[in-house]
Amino acid sequence: MKVKLENLTKRWGHVYAAHDINLEINDGEFVAFLGPSGCGKTTTLLLIAGIYKPTAGRILFDERVMNQVPPKNRNIGMVFQSYALYPHMTVYENLVFPMKLKRTPPAVMKERARRVAEMLGIGQLLDRRPGQLSGGQQQRVALGRALTKQPDLLLFDEPLSNLDARLRLSMRAEIKRLQMDLGITAIYVTHDQVEAMTMADRVAVMKDGRLQAYCPPDELYDRPRTLFIAGFVGNPPMNFLEVEVVQRDGVYHALRAGFDLPLSAERGKQAAGRGSVILGVRPEDVMIAEEGITGEVYVVEPLGRDDLIDVRIGDVHVHALADPNRRCRVGDRVHLRFNTQKIQLFDPKTEQSLLWT
Amino acid sequence: MEDRLGMGSRWRVAILLLALTILTVPILVGYVWILISTFSQRTYGLIPVDASGQVGGLTLRNWSFLWEDPNIWKVSLNSLILAIGLTIGVVVVSSMAGYALSRIGFPGRRVFLGTTLVLHAFPSVTLLIAIFFVLRWIARIPVLGRELPLIGGFGYNTLGGVILVMLALQLPLGIWLMKGFFDHVSWDIERAALIDGCSRWRTWWQIILPQIRPGIAALAIFSFISGWNEFLIPYTYITDQQQSTIAAYLNKLLSDTAPVNYSQVAAVGLFQLIPVMLFFLFTQEYLLSIFAGGTKGGS
Amino acid sequence: MSESASTARALEVGKMRRLQEKTSLRSLLSPLLFMAPAIVLVVVFFFIPVVIVLVISLTDMSTATGFNNWKWVQFDNYSRIATHPNTLPVLRNTLMYVALTLSLFNVGMALVIALLTTHIPRRSGFLFRALWLLPRLTPSVVYIMMWKYVAADAPYGILNQHLLGPLGIPPTNWLPAQPWFFVILTNGFIGASFGMVIFTSAIESIHRDYMVAALVDGCSLWQRIRYVILPLIRWPLLFVTTYQTLSLLTSFEQILLLTEGQFGTEVWSLWAYQRALSNYWGNFQWGFGAALAAVLVLIGVVMALVYMRYFQFNQLVHEPKIEAL
Repeated sequence: MKVKLENLTKRWGHVYAAHDINLEINDGEFVAFLGPSGCGKTTTLLLIAGIYKPTAGRILFDERVMNQVPPKNRNIGMVFQSYALYPHMTVYENLVFPMKLKRTPPAVMKERARRVAEMLGIGQLLDRRPGQLSGGQQQRVALGRALTKQPDLLLFDEPLSNLDARLRLSMRAEIKRLQMDLGITAIYVTHDQVEAMTMADRVAVMKDGRLQAYCPPDELYDRPRTLFIAGFVGNPPMNFLEVEVVQRDGVYHALRAGFDLPLSAERGKQAAGRGSVILGVRPEDVMIAEEGITGEVYVVEPLGRDDLIDVRIGDVHVHALADPNRRCRVGDRVHLRFNTQKIQLFDPKTEQSLLWT
Repeated sequence: MEDRLGMGSRWRVAILLLALTILTVPILVGYVWILISTFSQRTYGLIPVDASGQVGGLTLRNWSFLWEDPNIWKVSLNSLILAIGLTIGVVVVSSMAGYALSRIGFPGRRVFLGTTLVLHAFPSVTLLIAIFFVLRWIARIPVLGRELPLIGGFGYNTLGGVILVMLALQLPLGIWLMKGFFDHVSWDIERAALIDGCSRWRTWWQIILPQIRPGIAALAIFSFISGWNEFLIPYTYITDQQQSTIAAYLNKLLSDTAPVNYSQVAAVGLFQLIPVMLFFLFTQEYLLSIFAGGTKGGS
Repeated sequence: MSESASTARALEVGKMRRLQEKTSLRSLLSPLLFMAPAIVLVVVFFFIPVVIVLVISLTDMSTATGFNNWKWVQFDNYSRIATHPNTLPVLRNTLMYVALTLSLFNVGMALVIALLTTHIPRRSGFLFRALWLLPRLTPSVVYIMMWKYVAADAPYGILNQHLLGPLGIPPTNWLPAQPWFFVILTNGFIGASFGMVIFTSAIESIHRDYMVAALVDGCSLWQRIRYVILPLIRWPLLFVTTYQTLSLLTSFEQILLLTEGQFGTEVWSLWAYQRALSNYWGNFQWGFGAALAAVLVLIGVVMALVYMRYFQFNQLVHEPKIEAL
């Protein structure tokens, strides 16, 4: 089923939880809503579910306007962060509850519950109550409950946030796999960019109730359209430096005190003559080298595979990833080389990218 | 001994316990007396004595009212009907209104909430005189007024009328309490229910109510005890002996018999007290939760 | 845009609007159904009675006039109250009853019990608090019967037999002899539990850090109560004081059962009740009684409104987190 949001707006008093959101989700697509807490992503999800009513705009499922359709008639399945299992019912009763409400014949109900339970590996838990299950098991049951009713749309509200790190990894893969196999359109709300990037076909980044970008994960990473996206996506986060880009002897340079970085022509010319701009570069695109811009090691954070090195250049700090074998020490003087093909440039006022529109 | 801050020495605990015990004795004395008295020919203070004033004279004679006075069963049944009717009424009406006030946004919600709170503080006994007139009007409604089986009707001089009045007077407490319990139920569970295909009514009945069973139990026990105990309202609005309750019956015994035969009256008192004590023994925590929620403060 | 497309669009808009109207009606209906029984009961047994009390207080309705031959007397009942010989004594009784019961028991004893039970092992504390709830749960007729026996004349009365007799004090029926002592005690032992429960939870929720700080500073138990606990629970104290003032002012059931207002224990609310609904002679003066009650109703309304203002109503109102119906 296709989902379409048209100028969707939700306002409480003077606060916009969702502001003029337009986006289209294709049949069978897996879309993540990504953003910091309070950005309106859960509100948007609940608008789609029908729990909240839009202040303005429309929600369409295929071609049908859903604004006035109550949640129970939208045929969606939803998985919550808190699992939201019915504590007074057994796992089996939880699984068949949505089907009961749809007056599914008992035989079909039983068969479907059995199949879903098997698929999720919770077949042996059917007689337990949610209180007797671990977090991971509860989330499987919740997922099962959302699936047994054979929804046209699956909604996930941070379903993995309450699980421990290992379980999160395996559930992540499992949810992705299930969604692909079943081909159900899915919307997945998360504040964890890794989840969004690894699972989604497209990611909708939200901030302060507005849609910042809506594109495939790699594009989000390689071609961030706003300063916010550049800073939010990627871990460790992108470095930002205020620079001025000038053309000298046919070569573009990004300049600030103690900092002179030659840029490629196609990037440089977008920023030249604009005065102060913001240059962004990810730590993995900054390397400790034999020559280049000089700075002083300020902090070393071992991450295991890499060391994250905080290098001070004049009055700014730049993070770089270095091979632990290099054994950088605090106070060392080092040279930094930048991967100029990955440099991002932003207008400091509009916070829009100067490279991608 | 548990670790509690500032508990101090054993001696100090002992002194505090002693002080508490002394303060509590006046409460206990009455219950001890009633227990002794019902099984004695008479008592001098707490000492059971026989007809000639010698210590002794234990007897079951005082309980003869159970088989000699058919009225006791009639009034007990009436009290039971009152208590059960009140319990059902309070639980149903408060849990419905409490749910709407806690969890549904509708125009006027704040006004209703404010009204509930004001009525919660409002001393409803001051309205007894006016309610007398309301009940007389209800009594004029055909059938509903005074021709119903079991409860007599809902008008003046009927059990149903008394149930209705008590129900109304307990509503502010009940609604407020239920709203408090509903406030603590997870929103996600209710959202899940709505998405799974429930209407608001089904959600209330099948999903949310089971989550607040302790609250319902507390309110139900409290209402049952209030109904069973109540003296003033049945005494005021029921003159028909056939509709009288056990509290009124006991009061009549106390004030009618010229020299009160305390031992016999005590037996009737204990008879009324037993169900309350049973509830009390097994459900103190539920009851405390009612009082912690801010009860209507009797006197 | 072609014409047919625009009419289609207009049709759709119209359909949407009708749909919206239908749902907005439904959105009112569903909560209204949830609220309906409560609304009916509150209107019939609170709002209408308040009006009735005020209206009847302006008439001379009584058993003498019946329900048909009464007439409007304007504020005659109120001026009668002002000049009635009972007014002053009853007013004095009421003030004494409220002030003494409130200070000695509903606040004083409640605080003492709460403090004592929070400074002994938890289980004992719970037991004592449960015992103090007993009077409130006991049927009032039974409860008053116990007290009547405590006060009864020799050789029956517990007081005479076990306390005063051994001390050599001549026995009597203490209820007529010391009516106020018993009126205050009976009401006080019931009333103390309300404050006790509230104070206990307030004391138990005082942050441990304060207690630790006080201990570190070397406070004695008394100093800790005086300088740490009392200042921190002044809000519940104020709440219990005001709330119970109103309750005491209007309650009369125990006094009715204990003395029926004899021996100089008539209080205002009992006076109103007996005038209008229950007295030996059967001449019920509904108009006069209603005027007496109206005074209390007005006090009740005003004080209830004051509570709502001062006890932070807004904090209790959360917006629902579901808008679907």
